[in-house]
Amino acid sequence: MDIRFDIIIEYLPYLLKGTLLTIGLSVAGILFGMLLGLLIGLGEMIRNKILALPFLCYVGFFRGTPLFVQILIVNFGAVPLFLGKTNGIVAGVIALSLNSAAYVAEILRGGVQSIEKGQMEAARSLGLSHVQAMRYVILPQAFKRMIPPLGNEFIVLIKDSSLVSVIAAPEIVYWAQAMETQYYRVWEPYLTAAFLYLVLTLSLSFLLRFIERRLATE
Amino acid sequence: MKKFAASVLALILVLALSACGLSKTSSGTETKKTIKVDTNAAYAPFEYMDKGQIIGFDVDVMNALAKESGYRVQLKNIGWDPLFVEVKNKSADMAISSITITKERAQTYDFSVPYFLSTNEILVPEKSDIKSAADLKGKTVAVQSGTTAQEVLEGLFGKNNKNIKKFKQNTTAIMDLVEGGSDAVVADNTVVEEYAKNNPDKKLKVIKDTKAFPAEYYGLMFPKGSKLKADFDKAINKIYDNGTYTKIYKKWFKTEPDIQKLKAQQK
Repeated sequence: MDIRFDIIIEYLPYLLKGTLLTIGLSVAGILFGMLLGLLIGLGEMIRNKILALPFLCYVGFFRGTPLFVQILIVNFGAVPLFLGKTNGIVAGVIALSLNSAAYVAEILRGGVQSIEKGQMEAARSLGLSHVQAMRYVILPQAFKRMIPPLGNEFIVLIKDSSLVSVIAAPEIVYWAQAMETQYYRVWEPYLTAAFLYLVLTLSLSFLLRFIERRLATE
Repeated sequence: MKKFAASVLALILVLALSACGLSKTSSGTETKKTIKVDTNAAYAPFEYMDKGQIIGFDVDVMNALAKESGYRVQLKNIGWDPLFVEVKNKSADMAISSITITKERAQTYDFSVPYFLSTNEILVPEKSDIKSAADLKGKTVAVQSGTTAQEVLEGLFGKNNKNIKKFKQNTTAIMDLVEGGSDAVVADNTVVEEYAKNNPDKKLKVIKDTKAFPAEYYGLMFPKGSKLKADFDKAINKIYDNGTYTKIYKKWFKTEPDIQKLKAQQK
């Protein structure tokens, strides 16, 4: 099997530009997803079940439908409503953030609920209100537990950003497909794309492990 | 537990072997060879999906050709880019999908003699001031990736120009135009004219530019060295001569085909 390195070199500038966009989409998705996910996670845990319902519905919808479908709906339905036209990158960031927020919310809920009841009881018996107890005692402890599953979600998000290629956002897979279309070859574009994603996800994994080690107090 | 697992394994083996036996005997009694034909059924009126069935001008032509040459057709709807990959590595025997015969494609594939004459045209909103291909400079144009539309535009504005948005399906490209993400779509004249006519509410118009977009001829596409090409070249000429082609053409396009022009392309 002959590998045509010349076409990989030819498309390298486009693939690298695509990698920058993938990083951009992923970072934006992670940041907005975390902010929104935090709010939704807290909303899910409201003791009044009626107030908590919209948050539960949000999580149910965005976890229960394919990200691919969400991207198509956001790009061809939602974004034109507000902007008057489609925009692949804006739609990509919105879809990735909304989707990721649902998973972050569940990770938050899992982290908080894994803290022993004794902590909340002790905090309340010391005179802290429920909100104060969450803010000063429970959430700080929960965050450390959330780092591994959050890291996992971020790695998944980097890979999920590849779906944005379908709305013609020029990220990694978009250019890999352009290479395939031009030269009718499959291994060169897709192995190169896979390698680029691997570089991104492995770097993130190392970074996360470093953060975990630094935060370990025991 | 072990006995249960063993008996399940034995059952699976028996079923697998009997299935193999079945397929062997059924192919032995077949008189017509079945050929696998790929098409990208998102290109009305040539090939498109209607309630789960693939229909269109190309489908009718394919069935007529198969009848003339004694083959049974197994038509499969597949993405445009995967279609080229499948024919190249012989997962499919051939493809019919409004594929223009080009020198570049002919390096990797074999083509039949032409069976349709087409030209690319520009689809724009009614109030657009685009009047020619040159006017597309600096504007966002949506195309289906890997088509001659992309080829001509890249020839005019540069390879991988960021204003040329490549979509996997022509239908998605048109959606982007309708939703305002692109200023124009370039695709085959029949396709864009049909779309504009059938969707008056979308308020689109078609711009012709024969200087920028040359005449193109569709061909059946085969892997290099395929033995089917000779059979289908003969079949195409047969349906030109016996009126079948004209009947199909009139059914879909309500006008007479220029068979002389198509035949003249057969060097």
